Amino acid sequence: MKIFATIKKILFNNLIIIVFYYLSFNSFEGLKELPNLIIFSFNLHMIIVYFYILKFPDYLGLEHIFLAGIINDVVIGIPLGTSSLSYLILSFFTSYIRNATLRSKMTSEWITFIPALFFANLVYFVIINNFSNLSFYYVELLRSSFFTFLFFPIFYVIFNTYQRFFLKNKE
Amino acid sequence: MAESRDDFVIAIRYALLKKGAKQKFSLFFLISFSILIVILDKLSVPFIQSTRAVLNDFVYEVAYVVSMPEKFTSYLGTKGIKHLNIIKENNNLKEEIEKLKIGRYDNLFLKTENESLKQVLKLESILTSGADKIVVAKVLLDQESPYLKSLLINKGRKSGVIKGMAVFSKSYLIGTIVEANFLTARVLLTTDLNSRIPVILQDSGVNAILAGTGKKTNYTLEYLPDEFILEPNKIIFTSGRDGFLTAGLPVAETYLNKNNELKIKALADPQQASIVHLTKRTK
Repeated sequence: MKIFATIKKILFNNLIIIVFYYLSFNSFEGLKELPNLIIFSFNLHMIIVYFYILKFPDYLGLEHIFLAGIINDVVIGIPLGTSSLSYLILSFFTSYIRNATLRSKMTSEWITFIPALFFANLVYFVIINNFSNLSFYYVELLRSSFFTFLFFPIFYVIFNTYQRFFLKNKE
Repeated sequence: MAESRDDFVIAIRYALLKKGAKQKFSLFFLISFSILIVILDKLSVPFIQSTRAVLNDFVYEVAYVVSMPEKFTSYLGTKGIKHLNIIKENNNLKEEIEKLKIGRYDNLFLKTENESLKQVLKLESILTSGADKIVVAKVLLDQESPYLKSLLINKGRKSGVIKGMAVFSKSYLIGTIVEANFLTARVLLTTDLNSRIPVILQDSGVNAILAGTGKKTNYTLEYLPDEFILEPNKIIFTSGRDGFLTAGLPVAETYLNKNNELKIKALADPQQASIVHLTKRTK
């Protein structure tokens, strides 16, 4: 019984990291499995990175972000390090926003997600364009970025609720 | 003014160099490391290539295991829907059997006509050619990414899979091998934006390049003669001009869509493929 309790504790404490790796192995692009809703595909990785680096930086290590990015690159088949660099640039902007913000509000954090997302996707775009022979629809990237931005408040509430519940249990 | 600039520099430095309580590396180190990996990957250093092949094999196998619950859920969903529709399907099948009985003689005629047309085009038949090396593989993952359309299969260099091999599903060409690891390989589907296949059109014998657009019902034909008019219901075969694909492999066909526009669609649905055949042209 003690073993189960330990496993449960480990799983519960590292749930967000497990989800983050799971998404990387599954090359998750929100709603891609539903043909009618594929238009609303978004990048959940970006939302998780932005939210956790901004609000709870101790729960999602930078090493995990780096490694999950590498896995994502391997699964999707793009040059190694592209997603990692993109997520780390997002982390950098998020860290800067966290340091520069005095009083955090969801709306202001939502708005600051735009430049962070822009620079992260810019890095992604530059690497794909200059370091590989792959071509892709730029409109898809723009659309994915738009819906990533749009769906941020929903996940903000979900992750915030989970963290509050998690912290409460921990105490 | 100088004070605000100092604050900006301090915030940047803090964001780059500060390590959290549980973090072993700073953001600056990881960003630099990522840039180094991107550059080494671009330069295709032999050491990096072999490391990447091992990493690919490992990640693909883990990704296959990770995708199992999702596949199982979708399997259950499909089975449930199939079960609900079984009576309807049964009736349809009965009707179809009746139609097939009637159409059997028509099929024999079409088969003979097809063979003679192939002879006219001087095209080879792919899977019937004994000289071709055939490898059967199972699809591990299908990447329905908006950017890249590819499949991961469970056969690699160990089973004789090499870069450039043609991949078939139900005798129709669905893609080519673009990455062969030791135990796994990646198939670039013909529907992918990066896919370009030299083809020949049925009856006309006109050569062109079949390019993917990301959709299985919307291919494009490049380098067609200026005054050439494409007709519906024509099969598109590989021309074999690239030197590694056998000529005469059926890939796509022209059709008229609901808006009466002429489009090109794939003969096989790559997303439905679970077992694929790989062949290499033997000279």
